[in-house]
Amino acid sequence: MNSPVKHWRNQKKITELVGKTGKIVTFTIIRVPPAGYSDQAPYAVAVIDFGATDRVSCQIVDCELTDISIGMTVRLTVRRVKTPGIDDVIPYGIKARPIHSL
Amino acid sequence: MNISIIGAHTTKFGEQWGVSPRTLAGEAFTGAVSDAGIQKNRIEALFVGNMLSGILGRQEHLGAFFSEELSLTGKAACKIEGACASGSLAVHAAVNALLSGEYSTVAVLGIEKMTDYKPEEVAAALMGAGNDEERMAGMTFPGLYAALAHVHMKEYGTTQEQMAAVAVKNHFHASLNPNAQFHSKITVEQVMKSTCIADPLKLLDCSPISDGAAVLILSTNHAMPAGRQESRTTNVSIVASQVATDSLGLSGRKSLTELAATKKAAEKAYRQAGVGPADIDVAEVHDCFTIAEIMATEDLGFFDKGKAASAIVQGHTTLGTAKKLVVNPSGGLKGAGHPVGATGVKQIVELYEQLRGTAGKRQVEKARVALAHNVGGSGATAVVHILRGS
Repeated sequence: MNSPVKHWRNQKKITELVGKTGKIVTFTIIRVPPAGYSDQAPYAVAVIDFGATDRVSCQIVDCELTDISIGMTVRLTVRRVKTPGIDDVIPYGIKARPIHSL
Repeated sequence: MNISIIGAHTTKFGEQWGVSPRTLAGEAFTGAVSDAGIQKNRIEALFVGNMLSGILGRQEHLGAFFSEELSLTGKAACKIEGACASGSLAVHAAVNALLSGEYSTVAVLGIEKMTDYKPEEVAAALMGAGNDEERMAGMTFPGLYAALAHVHMKEYGTTQEQMAAVAVKNHFHASLNPNAQFHSKITVEQVMKSTCIADPLKLLDCSPISDGAAVLILSTNHAMPAGRQESRTTNVSIVASQVATDSLGLSGRKSLTELAATKKAAEKAYRQAGVGPADIDVAEVHDCFTIAEIMATEDLGFFDKGKAASAIVQGHTTLGTAKKLVVNPSGGLKGAGHPVGATGVKQIVELYEQLRGTAGKRQVEKARVALAHNVGGSGATAVVHILRGS
């Protein structure tokens, strides 16, 4: 995701998703992260269901990892997703916050 | 189908820093050609199963690369990629090439070199099998299967100790396999105490990063090649080769307690072979993580949904105590190692040895019908082969 044109295309998708409310279908806590994510670990990644529309996979933020459970209601928000390279555009994407933490 | 496996060989799987992919391929190919007892100029085409040579090693064009290396220059050759199912997809392509009538003898090479690279590089490269959304979320392969495990636990009461029993069984089988990466038996306690990778999966729930290569020589000609050294009593045929696909990412799935692609591929394969799950004597299934073997043995119809875990704990799929069939006598991906492009080919090499009765200490008695199940990604590709010894 280093190319500005990819960021630009991806932003359209972010606009469609941000603010949506859904429920956690399943989740895990990543303790051994891939390259670019080590400063965030451990972090939670969940599959979120919105009922009528497609599901989305994204991180759960702004809560204790031990408080996350299947069925929890979350809302999608915009966050920096990974550590950029020194000359890269900062990559933004979707993450989800539990409703009670809003 | 009129297709026989006439030669097969696998290298040792594991950390092989001393050898290059060329050496691994050469060893597996030489072994398979020698097993077949044919001149290698009889091989008309080479199908290479590999996932990561481009992203990790910056080497693509593997058809020509390995045809040159194996002195098959001039023959038809190509690479087939389908993440961790690349090897069995290459077998599927080879089977279809034989069925078309274009060739009568072909070779399939499954190969992967992973341990030359840093673990986080390998983890990121493997996520090439997922979708953009999962990569952006910082998801990993253990994470994807951990998310599936979480749903299975909630739905069927599957426990972490039951998952650990899969690793214990497969390490026991691997201890009997000279080509396996691990030869140490482990206990449920050791699995439970190992470092957590992605909750609820721990280090010993995960298959390792491995190097390895495996080769099959397939032929439409049932006649035994002239001049072979040993007399062969058992002919091993491929009686079904089927593939099915599903959404690339978990968010596109209707159900997270099963892999729909596995069920579809298995259904087609059983129909093609004219057999059912109860006819299978031995199976190599895709246990990239312990939960994956539990789901696979259910999706393939060996156990009802939610019933596999307790059966595995009771030893119903273990060598020596098996009730219906033995699962992963090679040690599976967990115990024998998982060089991703090689795995699908290695599974069939193992079943070929089982059906011929040459599997040594890990021989499944009276094995006649065998099934290989290979998965790409978190279930986006599933490949099922059924073999028969006669």
